Amino acid sequence: MTDTAFSGPRASKSRGLVASMLRTYASAFRRPRGMLGLAILSVIVLAGLASPWLWPGGVDQQSRDSLLGMSLAHPFGTDQLGRDIFMRTIYAAKISLGISVVAVPIGMVLGTLMGLSGMISPRLGTICVSLFDLLLGFPGLILAILIVLMVGTGWLSLVLTISLLSIPQFGRLARGAFLSEQAREYVQAATLLNISKTKIMLRHILPNTLDPLVVQLGLVLINGVFIEAAISLVGLGIQPPTPSLGTLLNSGIRYIYQQPLYAAGPTVLLLLLALSFNLMADALNAATGRDAQGDR
Amino acid sequence: MIRFLINRLPSFVLLLVVTSVIAFALPRMVPGDPAAALAGSDATAEQIEAIRQQLDLGRPFVVQYFDWLGGLVQGDLGTSILSGRPVAELIGDRVESSLELTLVAATLMIVIGGVLGVLAGTKQKNWIAGLLDGIIGLLVATPPHVTGLVMILIMTLVLPYWPISGEASLISDPGYGFQLILLPALALSLPQAAAVARLIQSNMRTVAQMDFVELARAKGVPPRRIITHHILRNSLGNALIVIALRVGELLSGAVVIEAIFARNGLGQLAVAATQSRDYMVVQVIIVGAVAIAALVNMLSEIGLAILDPRIRLDTK
Repeated sequence: MTDTAFSGPRASKSRGLVASMLRTYASAFRRPRGMLGLAILSVIVLAGLASPWLWPGGVDQQSRDSLLGMSLAHPFGTDQLGRDIFMRTIYAAKISLGISVVAVPIGMVLGTLMGLSGMISPRLGTICVSLFDLLLGFPGLILAILIVLMVGTGWLSLVLTISLLSIPQFGRLARGAFLSEQAREYVQAATLLNISKTKIMLRHILPNTLDPLVVQLGLVLINGVFIEAAISLVGLGIQPPTPSLGTLLNSGIRYIYQQPLYAAGPTVLLLLLALSFNLMADALNAATGRDAQGDR
Repeated sequence: MIRFLINRLPSFVLLLVVTSVIAFALPRMVPGDPAAALAGSDATAEQIEAIRQQLDLGRPFVVQYFDWLGGLVQGDLGTSILSGRPVAELIGDRVESSLELTLVAATLMIVIGGVLGVLAGTKQKNWIAGLLDGIIGLLVATPPHVTGLVMILIMTLVLPYWPISGEASLISDPGYGFQLILLPALALSLPQAAAVARLIQSNMRTVAQMDFVELARAKGVPPRRIITHHILRNSLGNALIVIALRVGELLSGAVVIEAIFARNGLGQLAVAATQSRDYMVVQVIIVGAVAIAALVNMLSEIGLAILDPRIRLDTK
């Protein structure tokens, strides 16, 4: 499956191989697509991080100039409370991305471990597979509602929802990779050498299943941003006045005729983020030697 | 098939029971006094007591649960804490709106997905094939709410007089109702349509390389007939299961679409009830949504078996 730069299986013990894996991933960002994707993301993230210095007044600074049009002082105009929409949009992107960046890796670790858990006991593996199916078939918003009932609205419920929904995205990939790696000689050799099953799973199988998981990470991250936007838009996520892409869209839609830029800003940012993550995933795909149309 | 249903019944019932326990237990596990939490911070002692009475909080949890479950089975969905109206009535008011949206979206999904998929699956000129691939890829990756927002923004620029938000019944006011439902239904259906299209496309490519297609070509069957009678017929089977699964996603996506287009469907009822912690309403909607998703899933497996006699449901 992974006939890339490495013809043989990887073993993470050797430092050289870890470094060469990182080199493979880094080389993705020297491809035009990877570079463009990274550039778009960097601009958005840097602007978000720099926002306290760019706009010292803070995101919630109100003024009497409500619903102004485009101007040099307010590139996207102002909202119903006279707050600068451009600034709030940049700030919102930081919050929405941040939630996804916290939540998705949790789902990635849990999903990967669950997907590989068939190594420890085949029974456990099948239980995890049915859990993946359950999570995939479960209506996403109902899951969000259940979590909101438990922990209330806010970033915590969003993080929980997004990580739960990401588990099967990684788990099924890891499971597929595990099934194909399991039968290979190096795993049998390790078993014969009486190496513990947990160790085989983490030290030997995991490094050899990492490539598709890393590619998937970009796609699930943008999905996390989309989920945040959906849940906050509906009103069950981040609560105003904190700006997130979802809360801005929620109010932007209501002022669509007076202030079309209010909804346009966050929408364009969502699309830019989606473009950037998809470009990076494409580049990683190419760098790790998988075709773009592959396993989906 | 009957044996299949009997085999499947336990896991279906188990899923529903687990969901209903969770939906019922969660609000009652809120730390502190649930009645006080429900009444809000400035409620009087009498109001809290009234809510406690209404929720039957005095009795053991298990008794409360079976009471509620017994009611559900007999068609008594309970009474909303907030409005005091029966939950069945609240849901009944919203059913038409949600049903219309889902039905129109499902139709669009099947038509658009089918047409795009068949076009992309048959041989096309290079640039057309590339364009179709691009469109499908873009739509698959964009969730309904983003598609909807982009469509709204385009519409306000191109056709500023097209009504965007609100709704009208398709039955009593078909013209206006249709104008209002077109955008939300399209937004809801496009990502799913693209997924259906991609599946049909890849199925058609696989089938086109099979020996029997080669044979038909060698016999001199006209190319058009090969596509309609040989390839297409063998490509649509598992597209069906995907379509059925996608109906579940339509239901979920509808909640957000309703919020964007200001439609008063069941999704909005669920969200409002969650925000105001009207548990009697939320728990019914949760159990209902999960039941529908599970049922659709099961029906699609049966449909697949009917289409393809090689799949035996009984042996599972």
